[in-house]
Amino acid sequence: MAMLPVLIGLEVLLAAVALSELGPWPLLLVSGTVLLIYLWVSLHGGREYTELQRGEMPWLYDGIAEMAGKADLPMPGVYLLDEYVPTAYSFRNAIVLSLGLFEVLDREEILAVAAHELGHIKNGDTRTFPLLAYSRHLMAFLTAVVVLLAGPIAGAAAMGLLILHEILRARFHKEREFAADETALRLLKTPVSLKRALEELKYYEDLREGLRSSAVPSLEPGIERKQRVPIIDTHPSYDERILRILLEIHGNNMFNNRVQ
Amino acid sequence: MRMEPHEFKLTEEGIKAVLPPLEAEIMEEMWRRKVATAGQIYEVLRIRHPELRRSTVSILMNRLCERGLLRRSVDKGRGGMRYVYSITTTREEFEEKVVKSILDALMSNFREATYAYLSKMKK
Repeated sequence: MAMLPVLIGLEVLLAAVALSELGPWPLLLVSGTVLLIYLWVSLHGGREYTELQRGEMPWLYDGIAEMAGKADLPMPGVYLLDEYVPTAYSFRNAIVLSLGLFEVLDREEILAVAAHELGHIKNGDTRTFPLLAYSRHLMAFLTAVVVLLAGPIAGAAAMGLLILHEILRARFHKEREFAADETALRLLKTPVSLKRALEELKYYEDLREGLRSSAVPSLEPGIERKQRVPIIDTHPSYDERILRILLEIHGNNMFNNRVQ
Repeated sequence: MRMEPHEFKLTEEGIKAVLPPLEAEIMEEMWRRKVATAGQIYEVLRIRHPELRRSTVSILMNRLCERGLLRRSVDKGRGGMRYVYSITTTREEFEEKVVKSILDALMSNFREATYAYLSKMKK
């Protein structure tokens, strides 16, 4: 993580030097524009959530409250999202669970997903990730300005810094996902429920992917949402996470048992 | 929304001729119930298919929504928010659409032969 601010600093410095003839305005303009776009998207790009009231699902509300207490966190806001694909995420001190989760997971597994999101809150990711998102856009804009307005050497250097930033950012994201899983395992009464939840979500993704690849395009276009395929993965695979969880739960005994 | 079938399997019986087997079973159950959650359908189907998973039922029911045979809505009743699925058409209406689509296709591709066969059937 420490390298990321260094890279951003280097990119800003490079842009400042490469564009020094134009004065400070290009840099200020880029930073300000990115900040404005980011703030606008943050404030207006949100989806429709419904806040969960305790009386609606006491098992979920109380389960999250208990885990939040265990993690020394205030009770987070719990929101439900009208989305049939199972998904969950967190922001500030809030957890969002899609209604699709409730169709494919049992109660323990849903609590495990909530525990993972609590892990992100506990580990400070809900504060760090927005900064990372901003820095990513800033890096991209600065690189574009340097490539367009400065010479090829400065442009190549800016591109190099951007690529390095993306690689490190992806690695950081993956580490935070593993860390959130580790925190969740400590919060859960039944840690293995996180493994079960990930297995079911992996099955869901695989089945969806299988249907997409086996479907005749003209007959089956609708079920699949358009998905962007990232050049650099910021999330570890389900298999990687499941393996880490098994190691966390069973430690080295897992391998010893297998040998026996 | 598209409800018309796009393929017809001559070797399958009933609505399995126009829908994949599990989707056909889901529709049979949905026509019986009219409104149900994916969980309720899962509980019924897993008696016949012990290996069935909730994810499969959820994906297929949403696929049936895409096909226009089911409608998904959010229910805010007892037990909190959840998805409920309802039928958009009766079984009879669906079968009528199947027959119409197939006959339309036959008439546009094999007009004379279809006429001849239908008039022979009438006699």
